[in-house]
Amino acid sequence: MQPTSVDRATSGDPATTEDLSRGIASPGRRRFLRAALSFSVVSTIAMILTPIVGFLIPPKSSGGAGVGRIPVGTTADLPVGNGTVVAMGSKPVIVVNTTAGIKAYSAVCTHLGCIVAFDPTADAIICPCHDGRFSPTNGSVISGPPPQPLPPIAVAVEKDQIFLVSG
Amino acid sequence: MASPDTPIDSGHRLSDWFDERLGARDLFAALVHVRIPANARTFYFGGVTLFLFGVQVVTGTLLVLYYKPTPDAAFDSVKYITSVVEFGWLIRSVHHWAANLMIVFLVLHLARVFIQAAYKYPRELIWLMGIGLLAVTIGFGFTGYLLPWDQRAYWATVVGTEIAGGVPVVGPALLDLLRGGADVTDATLGRFFGMHVLVLPLLLGAFLVAHLTIVHQLGLANPRRPTPRKQAVTRTPTVVVPGTTPERLKPFFPNYVLDEAIAWAAMLALLVVLASMLPAGLEAKANPIETPAHVKPEWYFLAAYQLLKIVPRDVGIMAPIVGIAILGLLPFLDRNPEVRARKRPLALLLGLVVAVSVAGLSVWGYYS
Repeated sequence: MQPTSVDRATSGDPATTEDLSRGIASPGRRRFLRAALSFSVVSTIAMILTPIVGFLIPPKSSGGAGVGRIPVGTTADLPVGNGTVVAMGSKPVIVVNTTAGIKAYSAVCTHLGCIVAFDPTADAIICPCHDGRFSPTNGSVISGPPPQPLPPIAVAVEKDQIFLVSG
Repeated sequence: MASPDTPIDSGHRLSDWFDERLGARDLFAALVHVRIPANARTFYFGGVTLFLFGVQVVTGTLLVLYYKPTPDAAFDSVKYITSVVEFGWLIRSVHHWAANLMIVFLVLHLARVFIQAAYKYPRELIWLMGIGLLAVTIGFGFTGYLLPWDQRAYWATVVGTEIAGGVPVVGPALLDLLRGGADVTDATLGRFFGMHVLVLPLLLGAFLVAHLTIVHQLGLANPRRPTPRKQAVTRTPTVVVPGTTPERLKPFFPNYVLDEAIAWAAMLALLVVLASMLPAGLEAKANPIETPAHVKPEWYFLAAYQLLKIVPRDVGIMAPIVGIAILGLLPFLDRNPEVRARKRPLALLLGLVVAVSVAGLSVWGYYS
């Protein structure tokens, strides 16, 4: 078996220095090997990470607000000065019967996502988490930390039936 | 003279047999036969935190045998563990209390290291690993909190993940990743369960090994004198820093280890008493369209909760993140080499202001 340059280097063979210096003197090959190795390492990491990241990102869900008319109940169920939270698809909606008529808003607090409720004594829609308060007549912020008003939802009253309208 | 068949001799032969194959005596000697500064006062806070983590591993492993991580079954399985399974109430309550005490002792450990300036050169990495352990422990509290799937659990998670979602730039992606979708659903429960029982324990184990390895390599800090720069760090009493007296040392084993064992035994007793007298509760099953009135998070999130009530949303979200980042960078920000507490009035005053502010906000949040 032919001795390698490393064998010769360790044995003190004079040919060694020449072999090694030739290796060092060819920076092109060295650079190429380093680039190839770097590419190999990076592509291996990318190959491992791509399916892991893809797996972690949840698929887009088809759920959301229902489309069409969603019955809430009758006006008798919701006299003036009362409110209720109903589900519109997977989204909660608060319906309040105010002196200015029946109003509906998204029940998700614009602060940090808790579900608001109507408080008749305070005449306000209140978030139980951080005490944000909204106006039942237009959904605007009365007090507390919410940065935005509650988004309104279309509501229709036909005879004595209350409907949420979406889509 | 004992015959070759006496039990003592057999015992030696057995340990010799293993030692020849494992080198265990050398390993044990290298691990525990070290010397620590005679004036080191750790108050055993770090060791007790380690013990509590061990308790969590044991009780958590037991709980997972009965727990079912789906919204339909989670609440009932926790109820089943608490009321039907033999000693289920004890195991669950010990898990609950050990989680709370783990946060308490981690914070005490951090305060002790801060006051004694043990985060300074050359122990910056130990501090960083410790901050990593704090973050992972808070992550344990946050993910474990959802698992009973009761009202408090559900709404704490809604608010907590919304906070993560409010972080600039990465927030929306982080929210999606944490919840496994737009809302807190079965996907969220699955992810939190996976993080709680697999991802975080592995992460905590890695941080812990790094933390303890460096502590072992550098030894305990002397609270009276800084470690001199650009000199070999040593725990032997022979090297004397010019101008100082030799450092007085004591053995880690058995002196310190025995005290630590007593602290662990006391902690186990405290856990059983707390679990028996104040067992872990369970509220009504989670209802995604009704947030209960006056819902509040666990005590260790109360300061952040109160802050979110009184300042704009973005400020309330970013303040704790920036606070923890500054805490992590403390060894690099505080360049004063002095370690004696009475010679560091500014650092201690700032620490006190932060501690009082956090405690004040927590009390305010509790009573608001």
